[in-house]
Amino acid sequence: MFANVRELAPYQEEPRQLPSGSFGKNAFLRLGFEPRPGRTVLSTLHRRAPLIVQQALYWDEEMPGLPCVSIISNSGGILQGDRNVIEIDLAPGSAAHVTTQAATRVHEMDTNFATQTQTFVLGADAYLEYIPHPTIPHKRARFLQHTRIVIDPTATLLFSDILMAGRKYYGDGELFDYDLFSSTVSAERPDGASLFTEKFIVQPHRHGVACLGAMGPFHVFGNVFLLTPKPHADRLFEAIDPRFDAEAGLATGMSRLPYDTGLVFKVLGMESAPVTAAIRQFWSLARQEVVGARVPDTFLWA
Amino acid sequence: MGASVMTMTVITNTATITELTSSYRCLPELLHLLQFGDSALPVGGFSFSNGLESAIQQAVVRDAATLREFVLTAMRQSATGDGVALLCAHRAARAGDTAALLAIDRATFERKLNEETRLMTVRMGRKLCELSAAIIGDDLNREWLVRIKAAETAGTHPVSLAIALAALGVERRDAFGVQQYGVASTILGAALRLMRMSFVDTQKILLEATGGVAAAYEEVADAGVEDMASFAPMVDILAAVHVKGHVRMFMN
Repeated sequence: MFANVRELAPYQEEPRQLPSGSFGKNAFLRLGFEPRPGRTVLSTLHRRAPLIVQQALYWDEEMPGLPCVSIISNSGGILQGDRNVIEIDLAPGSAAHVTTQAATRVHEMDTNFATQTQTFVLGADAYLEYIPHPTIPHKRARFLQHTRIVIDPTATLLFSDILMAGRKYYGDGELFDYDLFSSTVSAERPDGASLFTEKFIVQPHRHGVACLGAMGPFHVFGNVFLLTPKPHADRLFEAIDPRFDAEAGLATGMSRLPYDTGLVFKVLGMESAPVTAAIRQFWSLARQEVVGARVPDTFLWA
Repeated sequence: MGASVMTMTVITNTATITELTSSYRCLPELLHLLQFGDSALPVGGFSFSNGLESAIQQAVVRDAATLREFVLTAMRQSATGDGVALLCAHRAARAGDTAALLAIDRATFERKLNEETRLMTVRMGRKLCELSAAIIGDDLNREWLVRIKAAETAGTHPVSLAIALAALGVERRDAFGVQQYGVASTILGAALRLMRMSFVDTQKILLEATGGVAAAYEEVADAGVEDMASFAPMVDILAAVHVKGHVRMFMN
């Protein structure tokens, strides 16, 4: 499946441990949500380790009918040869919140690469928040992520991704010491009409990323897609101002997506906490605009 | 001793002559490259700064060193993004494959998540196609203009440039060079109007920037449309600041 991806060409040799994509390295999750009176339920749950989902919890006090699902892993992160697949399907009129248990560590690699393929399908009036914790690519990690979104024009998807520079405070500091981080996000309508594609390939050893225009002086990159009907996007675009604050080490900005599909919100910062906070603020404004409910305060232990 | 030196000189000369003969382009072709690579080509390039105006306002770009870095990043992003689009479109234009051109144009447009860049590529693409249809007047350029005007296709700049240059018989590597040169000269032209910068400094940056184009071509020469990629979150945020800015000279 990934044999023809150009940027993976140098990393095709097989690991000395389990073969790539074999049992234990081919995690699969299929989450299906359906509406019931007053709430949404997790009605389909297929899982194959190392990715695990146990059950939906209803922890969100601002949206008591919202099933909250935490994706956990029993392998302690992403290893060379891993081929994860995640599918999330929201029936018309359903709503869900999906996150991860902790940061996703993409471990150091000496052979092969790891991939995660994600598909989100949203029916009419569906609402999905997919807000995983940050991804930390360790030294020499090679990670490719493919995200495909199929969304009805009336549905809303908030999807965020936070990319760390590496294990910043480990040893002498691992800043942009990974081999490859490749991410493609593409969206389409249920009839197959394409909406947008964002592909970025970061190969810090081949082309520096700490240059002006790319990461510049920043270490953490947050990328948020809000696919939502135009009136919501228009009001949010008016309400939220971009910010470029070199002294505070935080920059945020938003752009309208092609064909009035929604917004893309980008954040650059020095540490994960302020980037996560900026995304949370955007997420709360988006939720108030689309659903009419705010995002609850973070848990004391979070 | 004297004889061997003589022999070596002859060999060197022969090698040079052979190389010149095989890559020596005809004068009209060279002049076409100059005309379509010129920043004075009336396609509206002078209205765009590729994010530089905002970068200067935020003091991200403030001198020759930071301008140089900004230009080199822009060239790199353009090589792996629009540069790939141009190479794919050049191949399709040569083959007269309109269906492929439509797919490439759509893919290019949908990869411009940054609103100002999207506006820039379709404005310049349309103007360039109008110009090419008028002055080259070949079938493909005229057909492409009809499709742009009928909103059948977005009309992105790299696709219009590929169609124009293919019609003039320009080779793909040279077409890539024209596109890359355009990126650097647009930003440097804007720099002269936006900041205190000498012509010598901008020309020095241009010379260095164009020196990397051949290597960039080798890297993307075999890439397909699905390989188009870029990574410039800082430019994207600066563009967002620019969209909401009140005092501005450039469209982006």
